[in-house]
Amino acid sequence: MYIIVVGGGAVGHGLALELQQMPDHEVAIVELSGSRASSLRSEIGEMVVHGDGSEIAFLEGVGAGRADLLIAVTADDGANLVTCQVAKHWFNVKRTIARVNDPRNEALFLRLGVDSIVSAAGAVMAQIEATLPEHTIIPLMALEGSRLHVVDIRVQEGSPAAGRALRDLEFPPEVLVSVVIGKQGANVPSGDTVLQVGDEVIAVIPRESDAAVRKMIAGPTEGA
Amino acid sequence: MRILIMGCGRVGAGLATQLTDEGHEVTVLDTDAFAFRRLLPNFHGTRLVGSGTDDRILQEAGIEQTDCFIALASGDNRNILASQKAKEIYGVKTVVTRVKDPLRAELFSRLGLHTFSPTKVGVTLAHDAIFQGA
Repeated sequence: MYIIVVGGGAVGHGLALELQQMPDHEVAIVELSGSRASSLRSEIGEMVVHGDGSEIAFLEGVGAGRADLLIAVTADDGANLVTCQVAKHWFNVKRTIARVNDPRNEALFLRLGVDSIVSAAGAVMAQIEATLPEHTIIPLMALEGSRLHVVDIRVQEGSPAAGRALRDLEFPPEVLVSVVIGKQGANVPSGDTVLQVGDEVIAVIPRESDAAVRKMIAGPTEGA
Repeated sequence: MRILIMGCGRVGAGLATQLTDEGHEVTVLDTDAFAFRRLLPNFHGTRLVGSGTDDRILQEAGIEQTDCFIALASGDNRNILASQKAKEIYGVKTVVTRVKDPLRAELFSRLGLHTFSPTKVGVTLAHDAIFQGA
């Protein structure tokens, strides 16, 4: 597989070191700053290229037309978005991943066809939510090119769903309860599955339904 | 018309002044307050310091009520990000984007933005000037 990484900052550098361990892949690291590019090259080697990853003519030169994956991880959201759109729509790169620095840009990136987004703020928030008992919906993964994501929700004391069968619950549209993890382990639920306090539910839901689903399955938040 | 201009360089400032002269309601954004010195004394619109890619600034600038958004900042990528935001998130009817790189201008016009490339225009003008003079 041919992988192009745009951005040789802390994230790009770490990624390069990981990808070096996977000898089956061909990797190019693109860095805009000349001095940063040469210091990276002396450490990582010839895979580091100096140039503007959002420029079509430059990407052509590094063979973007045959890339299987492009990952844009600069500190500039504009560059990351444009680079992924150029990869996708000019070079037909199959899969694009962008780092989102401003969490308010997440929805726009997904809507404009970036396949996956990586958000430091989002990842840290997920960790925080996992440790706070009242935030009981944890985003696990964004699904490619859609508003849907996979979440983990814990059924808490006071949840309107506890003790009721799934078929009796009126979820918002497009909510799919995929796995229920209870005392007996993980199960694919049916309409007859009854949720118990302490169960963990893995579901595919539209982002805009987060609050509604949290209220239904997790129950009331503390102090709310 | 309510018009929001991102970037108060020579083009942004000139356009802003012309548009207020024509009676439009104009707001100009720039990340650097010093850029507003380029506005002529007869400019009577609103100046706002901040980035046109920042949702908070865009909302403060009234993007939800604006009829037209024009991105004239120095970076192509910033202009493209802000323009797509104006169009896709805030539903602005008319969005115009300056993209210096002619290939990027072509791609994003194919993707639905109204782009123009000053590079391409400059090449054409310079080329034509040579042969008109001959």
